[in-house]
Amino acid sequence: MAGKAGTTPTTYSPSPTTKKTKAPLFKDDDVDWVRPDGRGFPQCRPAFFRSGAVNAASGSAYAEFGNTKVIVSVFGPRESKKAMMYSDVGRLNCNVSYTTFATPTRGQGSDHKEFTAMLHKALEGAIMMETFPKTTVDVFALVLESGGSDLPVVISCASLALADAGIMMYDLVAAVSVSCLGKNLVIDPILEEENCQDGSLMITCMPSRYEITQLTVTGDWSTPKINEGMQLCLDACAKLAKIMRSCLKAATDSQE
Amino acid sequence: MEYVSPEGLRLDGRRPMEMRQLRAEIGVVAKADGSASFEMGNTKVIAAVYGPREVQNRSQQMSDKALVRCEYSMANFSTGDRRRKPKGDRRSTEISLVIRQTMEACILTHLLPRSQIDIYVQVLQADGGTRSACINAATLALADAGIPMLDLVTSCSAGYLNSTPLLDLNYVEDSAGGPDVTVGILPKLDKVTLLQMDSKLPIDNLETVMQLAIEGCKAIANHIREVLLENTKELEYRRGV
Amino acid sequence: MVGLSLGEKHFIQGGIAQDLRCDGRKRLTYRPIYVETGIIPQANGSARVRMGATDVIASVKAELGRPSSLHPDKGKVSIHIDCSPTAEPSFEGRGGEELSSELSVALQLCLLGGKSGAGSGIDLRSLVVVEGKVCWDLYIDGLVVSSDGNLLDCLGAAIKAALSNTGIPRVQVTADPSSDEQPEVDISDEEFLQLDTSGIPVIVTLTKVGRHYIVDATGEEESQMSSAVSISVNRQGHICGITKRGGAGLDPSIILDMISVAKHVSEQLINKLDSEIAAAEAEEES
Repeated sequence: MAGKAGTTPTTYSPSPTTKKTKAPLFKDDDVDWVRPDGRGFPQCRPAFFRSGAVNAASGSAYAEFGNTKVIVSVFGPRESKKAMMYSDVGRLNCNVSYTTFATPTRGQGSDHKEFTAMLHKALEGAIMMETFPKTTVDVFALVLESGGSDLPVVISCASLALADAGIMMYDLVAAVSVSCLGKNLVIDPILEEENCQDGSLMITCMPSRYEITQLTVTGDWSTPKINEGMQLCLDACAKLAKIMRSCLKAATDSQE
Repeated sequence: MEYVSPEGLRLDGRRPMEMRQLRAEIGVVAKADGSASFEMGNTKVIAAVYGPREVQNRSQQMSDKALVRCEYSMANFSTGDRRRKPKGDRRSTEISLVIRQTMEACILTHLLPRSQIDIYVQVLQADGGTRSACINAATLALADAGIPMLDLVTSCSAGYLNSTPLLDLNYVEDSAGGPDVTVGILPKLDKVTLLQMDSKLPIDNLETVMQLAIEGCKAIANHIREVLLENTKELEYRRGV
Repeated sequence: MVGLSLGEKHFIQGGIAQDLRCDGRKRLTYRPIYVETGIIPQANGSARVRMGATDVIASVKAELGRPSSLHPDKGKVSIHIDCSPTAEPSFEGRGGEELSSELSVALQLCLLGGKSGAGSGIDLRSLVVVEGKVCWDLYIDGLVVSSDGNLLDCLGAAIKAALSNTGIPRVQVTADPSSDEQPEVDISDEEFLQLDTSGIPVIVTLTKVGRHYIVDATGEEESQMSSAVSISVNRQGHICGITKRGGAGLDPSIILDMISVAKHVSEQLINKLDSEIAAAEAEEES
């Protein structure tokens, strides 16, 4: 700066021509609005899974749903910390964190405690904990880019990573969320839709056993609507699990 | 600022030698071995005692006496301005230590070797004198838990503002920056087990202020004894003795 | 946490299977609820709720703040729960933090509704003083003093009671609201506005023990659970939030059945709670 003292300072200002105006996503009673990415209401984003994304981990997976990109690595089972008491079932240690560039505004890249607790609750019912007593399995999830429905993507990806690590599970865990916007149910919402949702419903389930491991609902729902939302999610979960399964199969085939 | 009006009344309308209203209740936490709540005016604390029980951390076990532990915590809503305080800050660690040392001195720890006694005090409302209120609540809770004690420890504070000794300071008087003497005594034995003072006070006045606090302690001891007696009578009645 | 022998476990499970629990209740009966309001004079509203040996305190503090830029026409509400070590020695130090954050998240989910504020029991629009500039921020603090199961329902009831006890000072805006500067406000210390609490939902937790589910489980019963579903229901019978605890998976049809049971139970609970709150308020005033 000191060297430039003699010259006239050039000021910088963002050019006003690129000002973006965002149209409201939808009007209150308008049923015929289009989703920002052109999907139909009961249509999920294209899902992409790839197992074995991190070499150092005992198992890992990468998932991409539209703009939501998540990487999960699984370490262990390893010996539990000495300070922990003896237990005849295994322990599950989860962590969900965001990169600094994951969100539109530069974040802190900090841990996400709520999601960590939810991930733990969604997975613990599916893992056969009794197969690795006295040991701990670490599940570290990193959200590379947040594009909406982060938690369901993290959960599905984590179960794939666990399978990749060879941890015994009853079934793969697939998770899907539904947003309630006005009168409509919108599956697999993106960030903009999540920001103005009236309610949300997330289901994580084990499709082959037809069991729900975790369920969260917020907002105002009538019973028929919950029914509809749950059915929508369960169908989507079943389809998602098929994609996950084929990804695992492809990975083992290529190894042989 | 004037803390004592020319008529000899304090900001909350008390006389200099007057204590705030005391209220005590035993058995407020059903699952604890002993518990009590203690109120001094607007200051309200709850104490719960767990034990004597097996020592949790084996390395801390003592073969000749009991291990006494204490934790002091303040509720978020206890102070006027709402603040999120991290647990275990310096102030609460210090008060935990003071309470632990005071209670340890009066518990007959040699009668309970290889065991542990936990005292938890929770401040629901803070309006000056929380330290004293916590000690009084802990005494009641220990008595409720049936832990053998030398005597009931009681504590009270006194200050010196506008050249007048004042008993039982409230928050406004406490934050005036004047001296604040907290005394804890064993009333039956007439012994002082705790003495703390902030700020400075001429040595000639210390004795009068301390004497005032001791008088306060004795008054509290009488109240506590009454409450305990009442509680015992009720228990007796319930058991049909 | 709760040490039970094999015999005791069988006794609890057997009792639940026969619809006669250890304390003589039926599967869908609550313990008696005691409500006390206005116990923290320094707060804008407060309440203490007891269900059996579970004892919680909730307080509401209102502070003036700025609305967020996303929702300039809404005030803000935050819920934070603390677990006192008086309730359980294991909550000592940082031991209670995990449970505290779990309870806080669950209550936020169940009581505050979706991101747009729909389904929230508290009308966030009523908290705005000057749109986009000044609004009331409600800080709801809960404290678990004694715990014997069913903390979530109890905390939900305490928050409902504390909110109906809350008086928010009337505010006079003195400066011109159209100017860009932060308007000056004059807070009245005599006139208070009551919050409309009729829409605040109650939380019903159904704990699954064996093949049956029970409401208002005690600590001992909770130690035998396979999973628990907390459902918050408002007066209209609408579901405002669901969270699930416990690892075991549930069949979707069971969850739908639980929802209908919760709706049925919530009607009685809301009526019972409302009459208790009214009684407590009346006692405080007298």
